[in-house]
This record gives sequence, structure tokens and C-alpha cells, in this order.
Amino acid sequence: MKAPKTHSKNGRGKKDPVPSGASPRNYGLPLPGLSDEEFGGSLIVIEGMDGSGRSTQISLLTEWLESEGFAVETMGLRRSGLVAKDIDALLAENTITRMTLTLMYATDFYDQLEHRIIPALRSDFVVLADRYFYTLIARAVARGIERDYLNGLYEMALRPDLTFWLNVRPEVAFEREFRKSHAISYWESGRDLSLSDDLFQSFILYQAKIKNEFEALSGRHGFLALDGEASVVSVNNELRKRIASHLGIQRTHYRPSAALANLWR
Amino acid sequence: MTSRPLPAIDPPPADPVDNTAAEPSLRLEPSRKYPGALIVVEGIDGSGKSTQLYLLKRWLEIGGYRLHFTEWNSSPLVKSATRRGKQRRLLTPTTFSLLHAADFADRCERQILPLLHSGYLVLADRYIYTAFARDVARDCSPRWLRNLYRFAPIPDITFYFRAPLDVAVKRIMSGRPKLKHYEAGMDLNLSLDRAESFRIFQGRILAQYDEMIESDKFVVMDGTLAVNSLQKQMRQMVKARIDLARFAPKKSARRAL
Repeated sequence: MKAPKTHSKNGRGKKDPVPSGASPRNYGLPLPGLSDEEFGGSLIVIEGMDGSGRSTQISLLTEWLESEGFAVETMGLRRSGLVAKDIDALLAENTITRMTLTLMYATDFYDQLEHRIIPALRSDFVVLADRYFYTLIARAVARGIERDYLNGLYEMALRPDLTFWLNVRPEVAFEREFRKSHAISYWESGRDLSLSDDLFQSFILYQAKIKNEFEALSGRHGFLALDGEASVVSVNNELRKRIASHLGIQRTHYRPSAALANLWR
Repeated sequence: MTSRPLPAIDPPPADPVDNTAAEPSLRLEPSRKYPGALIVVEGIDGSGKSTQLYLLKRWLEIGGYRLHFTEWNSSPLVKSATRRGKQRRLLTPTTFSLLHAADFADRCERQILPLLHSGYLVLADRYIYTAFARDVARDCSPRWLRNLYRFAPIPDITFYFRAPLDVAVKRIMSGRPKLKHYEAGMDLNLSLDRAESFRIFQGRILAQYDEMIESDKFVVMDGTLAVNSLQKQMRQMVKARIDLARFAPKKSARRAL
């Protein structure tokens, strides 16, 4: 058995320097009822703005991991059974204030954490997170909410085993998104912040704010930044290399099935 | 009879986001730098707090004071989520707490803060201390909760209606036969019997309220006293602590400006 390079599956706490007061598994506080519990599995987060290629990579990684015999669960923002629909409705109405929105997203996050991620980890799944609370912090900071407040809010979140940040320039992300859906979302361009009347300008300014915040988060949380502007194939090769080393997978060769072949470019 | 019109439903935020600032700043530490005043009542179910706040409100209304009354857990924005979570029993201590905080944030940002800034006397039936007492009784971390509600303005007076557990439970049980799942603390597995679970849960909440008497400067009211004598005490306290003339019609409204 070759020892994995970065994280060992059962001794993740030892390799990862942890700020004082925090446990290897959370950011300072355990969830109520979860005190000293040990569970396995791996939590792998992919962060990056819309148009950075997150969902493409998650589809490919899911297939690869399943072909290697790992059970995979996914999570993402606004996917909880509890409040996802309510958030959709609130966003459509535009009457919601930033603190309420922040707390509704936090509810959505913790509901998935407690009802999806933790049960999956207990069953030794690999959980692939299509974004994590880092995005929620970046968005809230862009709207003027204090970092300290947000760090406290997510103190009970699980610390991921690996966090990848697919870094792209806002201009590139805009182009990709526009090509894909022929429209840019109100929220993804930060229109509520009145940064610019021009949609493109607003998107660029807003995403630049988000990106700044991600630079700060990246240092604090040890993100592995990847060039999201590189080809799908080369980003995927890099992701598989890192994940394989974490999970102790020896052979990393992968070709997508016919169902996903159109993504492979 | 109010001397000023009610503010629009969705007024601009108290602290507009300054997009030019290098560091984002939303002041989360509550200040009292507003012309309004905030009076809240707290206490376990059956402590008599709602009756007393109602009587205080009637007294002030009849006097023509500029006031607004707000209740815990009443924001329509978050209501459907809360109802679904409770009906289907999807809530954990953390999501229960967060949903109520979202509900409070909505009322705080769209109602309580704008009203305080425009010089209203705001009366609140239950406030953040309800969350502190009840969620700590559900094993949420006090530190986490205090941070969660950091954006809330600190009340000018917090009346804590304290009734012995037996008295309060008896009042509730005689008037309301069917206790709801979360209300009875059934999610905590304290007892299979709903009434017994409710009793234990209320006892834990009572202990948490008692813990906050000094740190949060509660005005303790003896919930076993006669309704009218309690109300007399309450009105005296309000007159002593709050310059009611600021909220009176006409002349004082001008002075407040």
C-alpha cells in the first residue's frame, strides 16, 4: 500500500493544520448531537463561479468514481428538501433582504449537511459538493455582511477533505454562461447591488468582488486552485490525480462513457 | 391618530451597502442610535406575558402613542418553510434555529429597524431571548446563537415574566389540550408522553431564562401576581425608563425631529 500524499483517509486530522479551538472535522463547534462521533467517507468540494465548469466536472468525476467502485452522493446550493423551493420563491419575488437570504441559504446548507452529507459519510460514500458554504460567505460579504458573523454561522460545517477552486476570469465565465443559456441570471450578476445598469458590467464587477473574497478564503481554507479556463480534459486529469491520491486509487485512467462523451473536450 | 404615516413596506436598509468601500461594513453590533424604543416581553408559555403586553399596548394605543406591535414567528416570507418543516418533522435543532432566525431577520430588517429609525415605540411579544432559551434547551451552542442574532437591536426594556413551572404548565394544559410536536420538545426524546415531555422541556427553557436575568438585564416580573397589579408595575416601569413624550401625538413628534 502506497501512502496517499496529501490526506490519509483515516487520519485526516493529523496532516491538516487546524486553528486552535477547532476540531479536525468542523470549524470550531460540533453540530448538536454529533459530538465525538467518528465517521468515514470523503467530502470533496468543487467551487467556482457559474461558467467555471463545475457541473461538467462533477458528472465526469461521479462516473469515474463509480467505475472505480466508490459510492457517490452529491450536494449543491438550494437543493435541500426543507427550503430549496422557498428560496426559489423568495429570489423570484425580490423583496427579500440580505440577512434573511443569508439565513435561508444557511438553513438550506445545514439541512443538506445533516440529512444528506453526514448520512452518506456514515455509509462511507464519497460526497461531491457542487459548491459549499464558501460561496455563501463570498456572496454575503459582497453584500456587506461581516466576515466574522459568517464564519461564526458556519462554524459547525464539516471541513472538507479536499476543496478545488476552478478559477476563471469573469469575462470568460460570462461568455460560457451566455453561450449555454443565452441569458445571465439576475442574482449571478449581482443586480441587487446596483453596481451597473449594464448587465455585462454588473456581472463583471460582481464576480470580481466574489473572486476577491475567494482569494481570501483560499488562503484560510487551503483551496487547491485549478485553471478553470483549461480544457475539460486537462482539468479532469488534474482533479482525478488529486482525488486518486486521496482515496488511494492506483490506476487513474478514465475515458467517459458514451453518455458523457460529448463533455470530453 | 399617528402624526406620521407608516413607512413603506420595503424601505431602504438602515445601513446601505457602500459599494465603494474597500472593506464591507454592516454594523452588526446593535446600537440605540435611533429615535425609537423597543420593549419586549419574555417568559415560558403560560407565564402571562402576552396578556400583559396586550394590556400595555391598549394603554399606549388609547393614549395615542405612536407604536407598533410585533410577534415572534410571524413573517409571511418564511412561514411556509417553517410550517412544512414542522409538519413533516424535518427540523433538527440547527435548522429549527436557523429558520426562526431567518424569520426574525425578515421582521427585523423590514419592520423593527425601520420603525425604530423612524421614531416608533415597538412592542415585541417574544424576542431573541426566546431563541436563546429554547435553542440552548435543544443543545444548540450559546456562542453560536449569540453570534446568529448579533444584528438584532438590544431592547430598551426586557420584561421577563417568571412563573413557577407548575403554575405555567397548568395554565397551558387546562386551556389547550393538544400540544404540537416541537412545542412539546418531542424531538428531544425526553419522554414518550407528550405532556410530560412538554413539562421537562419548559423546565429546561425556564432554567435558561433564569441564566440570562443578569447578563441581559431582564426586569423580572412575578407571573403569579394578579393581572392588574402586574400591569400597574409594568406601566410604572415603562414611564420611568422611557421618555413617552417622544411618542405622543403632535408637539413631541416635532421635538423628536
